[in-house]
Amino acid sequence: MITLGIETATHVVSVALGGDDGVLGMVEINQGRRHAETLAPAIEFVCRHAQVAIGDIAAIGVDVGPGLFTGMRVGIASARAMAHALQVPVVGVSSLDLLAHPLRHIPKVIAGVIDARKGEIFYAFYLPTTDGVQRVTEPRVGSVDDFNADVMARGQDVLAVGDGAFRYRDELGVGVEVADLAHPSVASLVTLARARVLRSDLEPLRAEDVQPMYLRAPDAQINWSTR
Amino acid sequence: MRPLTVDGSTVVLGIETSCDETAASIVMGGSDVLSSVVATSIEQHVPFGGVVPEIASRAHVELIVPVIARAIEEAGIAETRIDAVAATFGPGLIGALLVGVSAAKALALVWDVPFVGVNHLEAHLYAGLLEDPDLEFPLVVLLVSGGHTMLVEMRGPGRYHLLGETIDDAAGEAFDKVARFLGLGYPGGPAIDREAQFGDPEAIAFPRAIPDSLDFSFSGVKTSVMNHVRKHPDVVTADVAASFQTAIVGSLVTKARRAARQVGAKGLALGGGVAANSLLRDRWVEACEADGIRAFVHSRAMCTDNAAMIAAAGWHRLGSDGPTSLEAGAYPGLRLSMD
Repeated sequence: MITLGIETATHVVSVALGGDDGVLGMVEINQGRRHAETLAPAIEFVCRHAQVAIGDIAAIGVDVGPGLFTGMRVGIASARAMAHALQVPVVGVSSLDLLAHPLRHIPKVIAGVIDARKGEIFYAFYLPTTDGVQRVTEPRVGSVDDFNADVMARGQDVLAVGDGAFRYRDELGVGVEVADLAHPSVASLVTLARARVLRSDLEPLRAEDVQPMYLRAPDAQINWSTR
Repeated sequence: MRPLTVDGSTVVLGIETSCDETAASIVMGGSDVLSSVVATSIEQHVPFGGVVPEIASRAHVELIVPVIARAIEEAGIAETRIDAVAATFGPGLIGALLVGVSAAKALALVWDVPFVGVNHLEAHLYAGLLEDPDLEFPLVVLLVSGGHTMLVEMRGPGRYHLLGETIDDAAGEAFDKVARFLGLGYPGGPAIDREAQFGDPEAIAFPRAIPDSLDFSFSGVKTSVMNHVRKHPDVVTADVAASFQTAIVGSLVTKARRAARQVGAKGLALGGGVAANSLLRDRWVEACEADGIRAFVHSRAMCTDNAAMIAAAGWHRLGSDGPTSLEAGAYPGLRLSMD
């Protein structure tokens, strides 16, 4: 079963194809922040060079955030449209899960932390399990102080990963170690999406459930001029 | 990609998400509308008195695939019959445009058909061709909406010359602002249109056009409405609405006629959301009859944002320029390329 992963929820655009034995091909563009311009050509490129016909894609995984609203929407609109046209299942996975999952072999509490701008971060805590990580708190948006308070309350050392952790590394409290700068992993995305599709007999997947995880109400700024 | 000749049997899926409408349509041969589905998030914007870009974008991402699916279903065709996917890529709200563009490119990729980026303004000009495929050129089109007010000479398909445009507010914007000031609610165009039915259009003489120019200005009339109401707090709101509407429509029609005479137009066409205004439609037809030229007043559904016009414009652009690169983005300030 071939799974396409689409990750555009941060400033990175990444695309991967996963097969039964792992990743078949991957593209990651770390600069430019041109999600809409890059995504479709990246999918075309990965498919061509991994020698996968688009029609052979059997499932699609997409990062649903939290992160950059515009990027999330580019990814989700693309993933849902492709899934509709291919008539295949589509799975939404959180960006925070995709930060924590690559660190699953580290026996420590992991915090996925994404820069939410406006002085805030999106974050959630994870515990390693035998076959991955388990999210133990709901993703939330808050200040670095909120995060530090949550760490204190847990009373355990934490490994924080993501551009939010990296940006605020000097302000994170004691007991917080900061991992090297990392972005949501598209390799983890195809792995997790595939696993979810294989479970879909028990827990059916619905395309309309694949929605952006905003965690913030819209800025109700009036746009008088749309010129 | 399979080779494509653009002709009368070419089927285009059009997608429109530039503002608050999420729309999809299937059009064959550039003019045969097989389906046209429009969903809107307007009700969510009413409390704010204007379109909130983030709210519009959130609605688009929820609605886009269901709307496309419905357009295909209502057209009664197989997806394999679709020869190209066209989407508005500007002008408009960037976050909103990107949803439609992304979905369109994804579909084009899977179906292995061309993607066509469409200029929303050009699509409004093509809306006329959808209902009157035998248009004669040159034609003067007044494009009048919440974001635009422009007089365009259409010299032929794809060939435009700008004759005049607003130097400040768009006409629809003036309707919204005045309606809000009068407490008539949002969107302002229909609200003023309704209220004006009960008022005297001659009650107050608001200032009109900039003389000797085909450009428009609406901020002056808006300010005089506000000044008048502040000076005469007991004024009948319906009279203000009717007089304001008369001033705006008078200015639009006067300049359109002058433009038509200037270029020797065979007809005068009206497009954009404000073209749904009853008084403007009536005056338009009267003016054309008086001047002995054809009046093209599209159905209200074709005046406001829709995807049939996107599919039609996409069909023309595909024929003249070929596909758009999948590397294209969205261009919020996209202009119409003019002669």
